[in-house]
Amino acid sequence: MRTVLIVEDEFLIAIDLKLLLERFGWSVFGPAATIVEALKLLDVELPAVALLDVTLKDGAVTPVAEALRARNVPFVVASAYDRPELVGGDVLIGAPNVGKPTEQRRLLATLEQLVSC
Amino acid sequence: MNLEDIYRLLRSGHVQSQSIIDTVPEPLLVLDKDLCVQTASRSFCTTFNVSRDETIGQHLYDLGNRQWDIPELRRLLDEVVPKSTAVIDYEVEHDFPGIGRRTMLVSAHRLFHPDTTNHSLLLSIVDATERRRGEAEKDVLLGELRHRMKNMLALVQALARQTTAAGRSGEEYRDAFLGRFNALMEGHDAAYTQEGKADLQQVLARTLEPYSEGQAGVHIDLGPPIPLGPKPIMSLSLILHELATNALKYGALSVPSGQVRVHWHVDEASPPSLRLVWQESGGPRVAPPATSGFGTQLIEFAVASELGGRVEQNYASTGLVVEIVLPLASVS
Repeated sequence: MRTVLIVEDEFLIAIDLKLLLERFGWSVFGPAATIVEALKLLDVELPAVALLDVTLKDGAVTPVAEALRARNVPFVVASAYDRPELVGGDVLIGAPNVGKPTEQRRLLATLEQLVSC
Repeated sequence: MNLEDIYRLLRSGHVQSQSIIDTVPEPLLVLDKDLCVQTASRSFCTTFNVSRDETIGQHLYDLGNRQWDIPELRRLLDEVVPKSTAVIDYEVEHDFPGIGRRTMLVSAHRLFHPDTTNHSLLLSIVDATERRRGEAEKDVLLGELRHRMKNMLALVQALARQTTAAGRSGEEYRDAFLGRFNALMEGHDAAYTQEGKADLQQVLARTLEPYSEGQAGVHIDLGPPIPLGPKPIMSLSLILHELATNALKYGALSVPSGQVRVHWHVDEASPPSLRLVWQESGGPRVAPPATSGFGTQLIEFAVASELGGRVEQNYASTGLVVEIVLPLASVS
């Protein structure tokens, strides 16, 4: 089963991404709206890949990205910032940014690519 | 005309040209071909805190503890100026002793002289530090605005993508989408244009106004005043819109005799919570939907994740009853 953790604090966007990915066969963990929630979910089960918003209710997503990196889980950023690393730190450098608003094909293709390599 | 007259004439001419230089608000220097200062304006002396005596005759780079011996400026004067007649607004950023880090715009013009080939330079130095700081702040603000705009577009995208299209005509899809879009926009208006003024009663009245005509329809029973913060206003506008459109399609508002009562009170527990009740009656028998669509998920998610509360939907034989319980602290 292809699993994805969604970390997004804007509830409409979170539901949109969840329903969209489920429609295309993904099993969704979350969505988590906070760093605390996301880290808790990672303690339960590791997803194949994660989709991260950069600014959450309780701060920048950095600790989540670091936890994912430490556990070798690849991640994708979905951010309206042109350079998410300026907000979320160096750990986001090199992570693909699928943008916000998020175009469906680009999102699906990027996730597929990350889990297949 | 005797010698004294000529002297007076020359002197008044000199005094006038010096006073013109001293009146120009930007700091000015006139340099000879070896970059030694011939004239320094009053503004130059006050801006850089130096006296005219210690300035005139000195080499530019020797001025004030060599504070003008700046690589960028050297490049300008050694390489750029000799090849062109004027250089305008060359930016030099430098830590000046006494006045701190500054952004200076240096312009250099070859001095205009009708008779001789003159190699003097007129150097004007404009302190653009404040202007640059203002521009940088404006850039940050514009960046933030762009970011918010893209977020707003992402919300609209979510509504467009998740509004059901299957089994509907284009018109039906459009109306369903625009209904949600309006709820989002009105919520945004209430949240951000009259910040701090919106109250639960106002949000209810505004969102449910289209459904509140005549005997039937939606009735709002007044409860205690509940001031709402921007995010809860947005969430509640969307939630109420979903409840109302559902009632219109399947519930009490789908028949002329149907009614919805909306009321609320505060549970003075610790911590206190707001209990908002949506109570339908007089409509057809209702049953829980087979699958939970976007509307249902929107309500559940908004309440749980955005407002930190819980929602109970009770499909009673008399009609749907929805109870939303929110920590009072999370709605203000």
